[in-house]
Amino acid sequence: MPADIETKQIEDSVAKINNEVAVGSDLEFQRRWWRFEHILWLALTALVILDALGFFGRGWFAKAEAKTPDGSMRIEYERIERFGAPSLLTIHFGQNAVRNGGIQLWASDSLLHELGSQRLIPQADRSALDGHGILYTWVAAPQPDSVQFSMQPAKVGSAWLTLRVPGADQMRLKIAIFP
Amino acid sequence: MTTIWHAIFGYFYLVLTVRVLKRRPGAQMTPFEFVLIFLIGGVIILCTMGDDRSETNSVCAVVTIALMHRLVSYLKTRFPKFGLIVDGTPVALVERGVWHKDLMRRLGLDETDVMAAARVKSVKTLDGIKYAILERNGAISIIKNDS
Repeated sequence: MPADIETKQIEDSVAKINNEVAVGSDLEFQRRWWRFEHILWLALTALVILDALGFFGRGWFAKAEAKTPDGSMRIEYERIERFGAPSLLTIHFGQNAVRNGGIQLWASDSLLHELGSQRLIPQADRSALDGHGILYTWVAAPQPDSVQFSMQPAKVGSAWLTLRVPGADQMRLKIAIFP
Repeated sequence: MTTIWHAIFGYFYLVLTVRVLKRRPGAQMTPFEFVLIFLIGGVIILCTMGDDRSETNSVCAVVTIALMHRLVSYLKTRFPKFGLIVDGTPVALVERGVWHKDLMRRLGLDETDVMAAARVKSVKTLDGIKYAILERNGAISIIKNDS
């Protein structure tokens, strides 16, 4: 046997059952593990129930609606989003949102950065950077009574989204983005 | 970077999930358990890779999982308690011809599972079993009754 190979004499180090079969069983650990398993399964069941209710997005609890005090906008959105999962944010405009024959909407840049806006339906006739946001303008008749942003959140955490029809009340929405 | 975190999370999440499932997946799999393994694997790969199906991403994910596996293997040999958590402990199901019914029930096993293992050892009847031990890898070892 080469000298540089570490060797060790065989020892009777594995616990035996009835002093005849070396099994190395640790029943005390196994019983503790079952208790842990029991708690874990309860936690996992709770997780699935909460998910089904929408506490982690895409469900009854996640869906939300907000309205500006002056009635210029009613917004349907998901207060809990999931990273990379497609979702919709719909804005219904009130009569007082129409100014000079057109509709304008200012959205904070979190719509693009955190919430990952992909598409706007119907497309705006004009969109321009305006401060820390984007100003969308629809001028062609007929004016849309609602617009829809298709989003795919690009960051985990929380995002504040501000929406405003210029000259009207603004709406600030807090949206949580789960991994 | 996201893929690496997803792969690390996915690895430990799967280790935990498979560990808290009953001991059978991995050994003595029935078609019903094959479904479980394939479905879990298929689901986890979607969030690990995301929209990025490039080879770079694939290589990074595979290497990360391989490194996690090496790390867990090292920790198992270095810290026996960690090995107990990851792999569990062998459990005697039959001891000198006596069934441990409570242990078998909690492990989700019944006498037919033990007999399936016994037949591999050419043991034809239950009374030919002296010891049956559920091993850490999910297999059942049989020690024959010599008498």
